[in-house]
Amino acid sequence: MATRLKAAYVANSADFDSSAKIVKFSVVEGHQEQETAQEHELASFETLMLPHLDAAHNLAKWLLRNEDDARDVVQEAYLRAFKSFGGFHGSNGRPWLLTIVRNTAYNLIKKNQTAHLTTTFDEEEHVLDRESASPATQLEHDEESKLVRQAIDRLPDEFREILVLRHLEGLSYKEIADVAHLAPGTVMSRLARARSKLREYLKTDVGKEI
Amino acid sequence: MNCEQAIELVDGYLDGELDARTNQEIERHLRECSKCSQAYELQRDLVRAVESGAPYYKAPAELRQSIQSSLRAEVPRQVFGNVSDQKRAGVLSRRSERPAMVFTPQWSWLALAAAIIAAAIVAVTVVPRWRGNGGDHLLATQLIASHVRSLMASHLTDVASSDQHTVKPWLDTKLDFAPPVFDLANDGFPLVGGRLDYIQNKPVAALVYQRRKHFINLFIWPAESVMTVADKTLSHQGYQLVHWIDGDFNYWAVSDVSESDLQLFKQAFEKQLPRR
Repeated sequence: MATRLKAAYVANSADFDSSAKIVKFSVVEGHQEQETAQEHELASFETLMLPHLDAAHNLAKWLLRNEDDARDVVQEAYLRAFKSFGGFHGSNGRPWLLTIVRNTAYNLIKKNQTAHLTTTFDEEEHVLDRESASPATQLEHDEESKLVRQAIDRLPDEFREILVLRHLEGLSYKEIADVAHLAPGTVMSRLARARSKLREYLKTDVGKEI
Repeated sequence: MNCEQAIELVDGYLDGELDARTNQEIERHLRECSKCSQAYELQRDLVRAVESGAPYYKAPAELRQSIQSSLRAEVPRQVFGNVSDQKRAGVLSRRSERPAMVFTPQWSWLALAAAIIAAAIVAVTVVPRWRGNGGDHLLATQLIASHVRSLMASHLTDVASSDQHTVKPWLDTKLDFAPPVFDLANDGFPLVGGRLDYIQNKPVAALVYQRRKHFINLFIWPAESVMTVADKTLSHQGYQLVHWIDGDFNYWAVSDVSESDLQLFKQAFEKQLPRR
């Protein structure tokens, strides 16, 4: 209510020289409605889209493999999403938002490539650490988790993306097709190829069949 | 179905994306063909390794804040574009020309009047609409708030156990009813634990399940009458809700998983209930 009062105050004072109070009032109301509509839009955008912030960040981080870039992309994607929020009519905001995150992320990747910037992908960090494949049971899960992450990180973008959308975000084939701009019939075969590539990586890296 | 077709469809089968008939055909083939069923199991294990091993990168709190403040910065610019910017500039200059004392009382009176009018408009137009939507809307809001709180306050469960035989007795002692509790790990929804919650002024059971990296809260309380109500699906504030009544109990499942996942969850839970 505080901001609304302020809006009325500013709008009203604009016409202050006018002596007819009725005129002033119509101005006040007109502005008030406009601002309320904007605020309302922002509020409904936030309630619909902010719950998917983790999903947006997760996808961006997996695509870019770099925290700073991921944050920039998510931030920009939210602004873009807000500007085109009028075009959102569905009930499920997550695929809609993830589509925008994905496009924004690929724009950045493309820009980095054409600018011949050094890749932000830290090879050192992602190189497999064979030494630490210790048999200690306590470490086993961490170890396996690390191997899985490293193997996924090394996959080509289109495979990494589809595995994240399916297994971490739980999107249906239809939703994946929408987000990744794929023909619905090709989602299953791409997932199959992504999985066999991942299996191949895990096998050669670890000599272990997962 | 031959081996070639089965191998081609095994990923779709694993993901639950085949139609019922194809599902049956591939299941029959997998029962009969050890080579293909081995291939299926390998694929299933790989998927499990990914779902349990790959990290889920949650957004840091400061990212949320910076997004919110940059969104806020968008709004005034859109509201006061072009015309109003001039007006605002005009206001400032005019204000400085005149003694403030003369105007201050009048301004605040006008502001107050405007606020009263705005409140009246809200009361006349908005409030009846809320009422018209009935209690569901309000209940949904309460359930979502409870779901969100359970995730934020690291108070997801009072009793953390994937064993239904631990969770159920605990809840039974705390409540004056005995809600059904099942672990649904075999259907991809492992039980995480149980919690006591408070919805619509009464204590209810909240069962917590996991779907991949997401959580599902299933709220259960006794149904007030034996009438059958059609299942309800709601999407509210970015969350999915599914409501159904089965026998003695009211069920509300709340989560940010997809609607289809939540339907799968409901089916998996209902499968466990004794047939009546």
